[in-house]
Amino acid sequence: MASKNKKFIYGIFDDADAVMHSVEKLRKQGVDIHDCYTPFPVHGLDRAMGIRRSNLTVGAFICGAIGCITAIVFQLYVMVGDWPMIIGGKPEDGYYPSFIPVTFELTILFTAFGMGILFFIRTKMVHGKVEQLVDLRQTDDLFVVAIEEKAHNFDKEAVNRTFVEEGALEIREREYDK
Amino acid sequence: MSYESPIREPLVTGGKTAADVSNDICRPLENKPTKLWWLGFGLALICLGILVYTLALSSFIGLGTWGINKTVGWAWDITNFVFWVGIGHAGTLISAILLLFRQKWRMSINRSAEAMTIFAVMCAAIFPLFHMGRVWIGPVWALPLPNALGSLWVNFNSPLLWDVFAISTYFSVSLLFWYLGMIPDLATIRDRATTPIRKFMYRFFSMGWDGSVRTWARYEVVSLILAGISTPLVLSVHTIVSMDFATSVIPGWHTTIFPPYFVAGAIFSGFGMVLTLLVIARKVLKLEAYITIGHLDAMCRVILLTGSMVGLAYITEFFIAWYSGVEYERYAFLNRMSGPYWWAYWSMMTCNVISPQLFWVKKWRRNPNFIFFMSIVVNIGMWFERFVIIVTSLHRDYLPSSWVMYSPTWVEIGIFIGTFGLFFTCFFLFARYLPVINMSEVKSILPSKSHANENEHAHQPEVVTQ
Repeated sequence: MASKNKKFIYGIFDDADAVMHSVEKLRKQGVDIHDCYTPFPVHGLDRAMGIRRSNLTVGAFICGAIGCITAIVFQLYVMVGDWPMIIGGKPEDGYYPSFIPVTFELTILFTAFGMGILFFIRTKMVHGKVEQLVDLRQTDDLFVVAIEEKAHNFDKEAVNRTFVEEGALEIREREYDK
Repeated sequence: MSYESPIREPLVTGGKTAADVSNDICRPLENKPTKLWWLGFGLALICLGILVYTLALSSFIGLGTWGINKTVGWAWDITNFVFWVGIGHAGTLISAILLLFRQKWRMSINRSAEAMTIFAVMCAAIFPLFHMGRVWIGPVWALPLPNALGSLWVNFNSPLLWDVFAISTYFSVSLLFWYLGMIPDLATIRDRATTPIRKFMYRFFSMGWDGSVRTWARYEVVSLILAGISTPLVLSVHTIVSMDFATSVIPGWHTTIFPPYFVAGAIFSGFGMVLTLLVIARKVLKLEAYITIGHLDAMCRVILLTGSMVGLAYITEFFIAWYSGVEYERYAFLNRMSGPYWWAYWSMMTCNVISPQLFWVKKWRRNPNFIFFMSIVVNIGMWFERFVIIVTSLHRDYLPSSWVMYSPTWVEIGIFIGTFGLFFTCFFLFARYLPVINMSEVKSILPSKSHANENEHAHQPEVVTQ
């Protein structure tokens, strides 16, 4: 079963710049970074790791469009189709300007919640999920670079050396079942 | 990495490190509440009790317990509704608009301002719901469901229905924005927790957050989009609130300037309330290093700007009333200024137009005691603005036989005081159980370790990683 186990090597840092530099160095050596864990968003680190920009924006647009269409169709159904009303002497099929506010609000509502839900699905976050941490302080002031031992071009020595050169506080290895 | 100009004040003072940020901001959550907290919370609970009692009276006895009458059918309740909704505008404005403008000073105030937004909108919602009379069925009438009220459906041509959609969307999107922004901080508290209950609660709400860069990358996209859609949302909400008045044909209400004027007023009052709360909170929770005088100064400038916009709107309204040549419109405005409610009008003018101009003086903008005083003045002024718009426009009807005066009963005053109870109860609980400052964002604007060391030697302008 040993072959099924996943082995990781972690470099633990206390400086965001050092994380950035070691990720850049390792990428230059051709090593794939499994992930990094940071207490705050380190801008540019995702690009340095080679993560593509998220497609959540497309999802948000689709959700917004659904909200917009829902609002228009529903208002037309109510005010023109199902139970037409003459209000203020205006023709019963000419209500469109007064549909704008509700259409706008529903577009925003669907975008926000649709995108929120997509975000939670995509990041597999759910209420009560038990976190998997390398170090308790990774949500406080420490930064972790995680590399899988099976990664492309993995050379333990080289990785260790890079971590040490960049001033890692600690280097850890861990094995997971599955 | 971004370059921070040396002429800019540092956003976090006292040479704090990331660990200091966690310690300082988690301290109030992890220690026993202070006597001051119990005192404040107790007072808030008493006011909340008043709210429950007066609302029960309004429901069981009816709206006869209020001072409203046939001519002035909208009065204290709608005044307070607009007052609270206005206060609810600063939070999302700070977190959304200032995020889009990359204003980093928002980072230490956005969390508490957003909390304030949510609590203020909750207070606001009470008024129209109870004004509907039968609160146990009223909210159902507002939903787009077939009903037996004359027409089969709700009326999508009515600004009151637009308001239902606007306020509920604003509340739920603000709540989502607030909660999403808090997840990384909840994880920080979870990982510091020492008792199983704390661990369980914060674990439940932090959704397994581990600070993975892959998650952060998506999180940043979500924050940006949420900010992008919240910005027009904030503007739309008070625009629609103003349409409750502007789409009617009452002299004094029927003006096209209302939407921008209400939005400016809402931001003005919202920042007033944010300052009221933060001037105290930074002192009590010892957060002066994060909410600096510079932050207060920046907020005072927003107050100065929006206060001037509101002043301009008042003058424009007056000019247009005269220029339109409509006698009813002219009378409505003359009556505001010199009629029986002249004191309300002049309170509004003094508090909203003249007093914010004092913030041109830099020394006063940087004096917390003065700022606190002024923030109360702004709150009072904005309450009077809504009172003036609503009551003085209505009380002199077209027919002089319908002319009346309006004064609130003790039940109405009780509801208003009670909403402060609700607001502060929520705020005290928030300050007790949730991080009042966005820790992860504040950490991101601290100088990184390697640069902090460089700066010590060179006295060079700060380079801030972000």
